[in-house]
Amino acid sequence: MTTRWVVSVTLACSMAAAMTGCKSWWSKKPTGTAGGGSDILPTGTESTQGDLKPRGDEFNGTNNVVAGQFDAVLFAFDGATVEDAERAKAEKVAEFLKANASDVVVCEGNCDERGSAEYNMSLGERRGLAVRAYLMSLGIDANRIQTKSYGKERPKDTGHTEAAWRVNRRVDFVVLKN
Amino acid sequence: MNATRLFASILTLALVSAALAQEDIRVRKATAAKTTLDLAGLTGPAGGASTVFRRTLESDLVRSGWFTFTRPGAYSVFGSYGESGGNVSAQCQVFGASRSAALLNKTYGQTAAEARRMAHQVADDIIMAVKNFKGIAAGRIAVLGTRTGSKELYVCDADGGGLRQLTADRSISLAPRWSPDGTRIAYTSFRRGYPDLYLIDLRTNNRTCIANYPGINMAGGFSPSGQDLLMVLSKDGNPEVYVKNLAGGRLTRLTNTPHAGEASPTWSPDGSQVAYVSDLAGPGSPQIYVMGLSGSGRRVTSRGRENVSPNWGPNGWIAYASRRGGLYAICMVNPQSQEDREVTAGDASYEDPCWASDGRHIVCTRQDGQTKRLYMLDTMGDPPLCLTPDSGGWSSPAWCAQ
Repeated sequence: MTTRWVVSVTLACSMAAAMTGCKSWWSKKPTGTAGGGSDILPTGTESTQGDLKPRGDEFNGTNNVVAGQFDAVLFAFDGATVEDAERAKAEKVAEFLKANASDVVVCEGNCDERGSAEYNMSLGERRGLAVRAYLMSLGIDANRIQTKSYGKERPKDTGHTEAAWRVNRRVDFVVLKN
Repeated sequence: MNATRLFASILTLALVSAALAQEDIRVRKATAAKTTLDLAGLTGPAGGASTVFRRTLESDLVRSGWFTFTRPGAYSVFGSYGESGGNVSAQCQVFGASRSAALLNKTYGQTAAEARRMAHQVADDIIMAVKNFKGIAAGRIAVLGTRTGSKELYVCDADGGGLRQLTADRSISLAPRWSPDGTRIAYTSFRRGYPDLYLIDLRTNNRTCIANYPGINMAGGFSPSGQDLLMVLSKDGNPEVYVKNLAGGRLTRLTNTPHAGEASPTWSPDGSQVAYVSDLAGPGSPQIYVMGLSGSGRRVTSRGRENVSPNWGPNGWIAYASRRGGLYAICMVNPQSQEDREVTAGDASYEDPCWASDGRHIVCTRQDGQTKRLYMLDTMGDPPLCLTPDSGGWSSPAWCAQ
């Protein structure tokens, strides 16, 4: 079902692209924005300042990304330490990484909706870093553990209850197969 | 009189005059009666760009908070405006009660499509002529919106008009900060999968990635000179505040708190200090701290478990969002005197405060249920004004005076 849907969308898109002659239909500017500005990005050039340390973008895009293989580590309200009861989840990830020596894991830190977007980016990152430190204590090489904070931008449960908040304060594990 | 006593007397004098100056402000605030303005002498036809100009000008003057319109008024505006050949023009004079010399006498012209912008200029010139300081009508706001389904960056005028979408990243955009001269916006985007920090040059629409270290790369404020940008980076193992010189690229770390996270750094108006959020006081209790460009932070918020989103205004006060019960309130604290007051009325949740350049108004997010809109607050008591449509999920405004 899902595959068929993707195929038909792709077909429809190819047809639309062929009909309009638009080279990249997906990057078309949204229409109907107030003010009718013609300068929606990107229209200028794109560059990166030369003095940056590489993050490991070699793992980006080209490799096989596996999400949802492991249970998320949950956190207390505004907490950023891995609680005893949650450690077993990280230990499973460590076992997996030991058995799959070329794989890399991204610890994706998330928060509940309370608090500023910016503070939650820092809090989510601290959660990811706490899990990273725990994985390192289990013998996993630091170079194989990335962190990424989504702050409060990606709730797993979009509700506004204590129960929703509880599952949203989490670190998800995403494996980058190399 | 020895040197110490002389110094002590000078200090006492300085303190007394500072206290007097502050008292003066309170007196003015307590009697913040509006200046009466007679607009009847400014005439023009109805319809098209002329009407847009007239309505925008009147709205701007009301929004400034300083005027009511009466006939006669303490000040009078004379002149005319009109539209011809796709252009709109105005000729405008302002007189005080004596009618002796014009406080403003200026001619304006724009394409008809720019009638709103021309009105903003006229409004600010009238405010300058009458009140002798720069108005905010010609200011602009960078804001995040979600109406396309992704959180993108938008720009609008100070009154919410002229809204246009700036990015089409189709990911998550966060924490826009505007350079003081209005030419650049720094923001964080997940457009390449990770929260990296970009600088958009609005003159060319060129975008430069200025921080893509491992971990988070979030913008804090630009320095008053526009040459340095505060950042929150976690590249050294924990979220900390850094400052980056944008021309030379030199990066300097300002905080060192291995057991706490920092966020939202903002410069003092003179560029000598930085206010920021830290949960140093304990997990679950982010508070506002102030530090010099070296040394450690001094906590400036005392009330409430959660105080976030500091923005240091041109008047020396730090606006911030404080959790009060289930809602957020916008508050302002004077880091020198520790005086602290609540600006919002508790009728809804208000977050993300950012001072307008007049030091009187604060633009912020107001949330009712799941509706997020931009509001302009008045710290001198006029009611809050909505700037955006109901739908669109507007948040994180950043003010630009230009």
